[in-house]
Amino acid sequence: MKVVKNLVAAFSLKSEFAARRDKLYRIAYSWCHEPALADDLVQETIYKAIKNASRLRDINTMDSWLYRILYNCWQDFLRVKGRNIEFIEMHDEDQAGQSENYQQSQIVKRVRASVEQLPLPLREVVTLADFAGFTYAEIAEITEVPIGTVMSRLFRARQNLKQQLLEFGSDELSEFKLRRVK
Amino acid sequence: MTSRDFTDEKLNMFIDAQLDSDEMNEIRQASLDDRDLRERICQLKAVRELVGYAYSTEVPPSKYENINQKKSSTLFAKALAASVTLVVGVFLGWETYHYSPQAVDEISAENTFQYVANHVAVDHSNRKIILHIDSGDLQVVNAALNEADHLLATYKKANVPMKLDVITNRNGINMLRPGVSPYVERIKKLIDDDDVSFFACERSIAKAHKREGVEIKLLPGVITDKSAKELIPERLEKGWVYIKA
Repeated sequence: MKVVKNLVAAFSLKSEFAARRDKLYRIAYSWCHEPALADDLVQETIYKAIKNASRLRDINTMDSWLYRILYNCWQDFLRVKGRNIEFIEMHDEDQAGQSENYQQSQIVKRVRASVEQLPLPLREVVTLADFAGFTYAEIAEITEVPIGTVMSRLFRARQNLKQQLLEFGSDELSEFKLRRVK
Repeated sequence: MTSRDFTDEKLNMFIDAQLDSDEMNEIRQASLDDRDLRERICQLKAVRELVGYAYSTEVPPSKYENINQKKSSTLFAKALAASVTLVVGVFLGWETYHYSPQAVDEISAENTFQYVANHVAVDHSNRKIILHIDSGDLQVVNAALNEADHLLATYKKANVPMKLDVITNRNGINMLRPGVSPYVERIKKLIDDDDVSFFACERSIAKAHKREGVEIKLLPGVITDKSAKELIPERLEKGWVYIKA
């Protein structure tokens, strides 16, 4: 009976991991901006999660646990390849072909370009907060830095993005303001 | 308390709901009378919304057939390719980069919605905007309706064609329920405008029906044949501007 229970539990966990695949992919993509690499990172994350499922003590912490694994996979990649600086400049030409209409959206292009130019630690924190919606404490746990560092990185990331997005949007903004009703 | 009394770090914590309730209320109260503070909050919220939006794209199919499969070792090849792509990336970056240092000073946002709408302009000749409301909070609904009025008035005055789709789901559908919503008359006027359409998520209606055990009646003219999860992505893919209430 216990064996059956364990099998059911394992199957259920696999389903839970699989259900989170898209969100994991989006975060991985926001860090590396390269679809194939994001796919690899997510696959590795889920593979490791299944392998180490017994270490997940509290089912309620599954999200931060999974993202911690993803973060470690990403850090491993950067460490092994030693490409911390060069890689952040990559552009996602493959992705453009897969979702042409969406990629053509000026909003997406502008915001992604701004996120891409952020230093990696800032990029990781801002996407975990603004896209994945983790709390500061959860981000500190995922990225293994003090909560004060998370706050400081988030502050710098948003300041930077605010400036970048304002600059990018200046033409449209000026035009819009002329038409604005007070 | 004035805008200057609150650091950006603190405002970041405010928009992320990381402060205790007293501090949250303090900033909330201060922002009511302080336009500069509201604007700073709007800017930070706008950045957060935009980052969330930029990566909410459709996920391409994985090359892996099942989740148990160990990943293949393609990472090294990708890293090598990075060196080549770097050159292309830098070039593309400069091609699309429009620098304007004075733009920072030109910003004047009434609220987050307006601010985002300003910055995510896609096509000025024919503006298409989604206003997404998933909350039944009266303040949120009121702010969203104010924004809808503001957008319509602005574009009509400028003779710019626009289409506004107000998409509601979860508790947001309550704003469209006669006898429940205090905004029925206001919304009826908006529904009568050809440029505005109201949608209620069919899944949220079904859930509300199941939860409350009564038929969920909505205002005439509200479209209910799809879920918000279908309605929003199909518009985003066509370049609509997304504004979250």
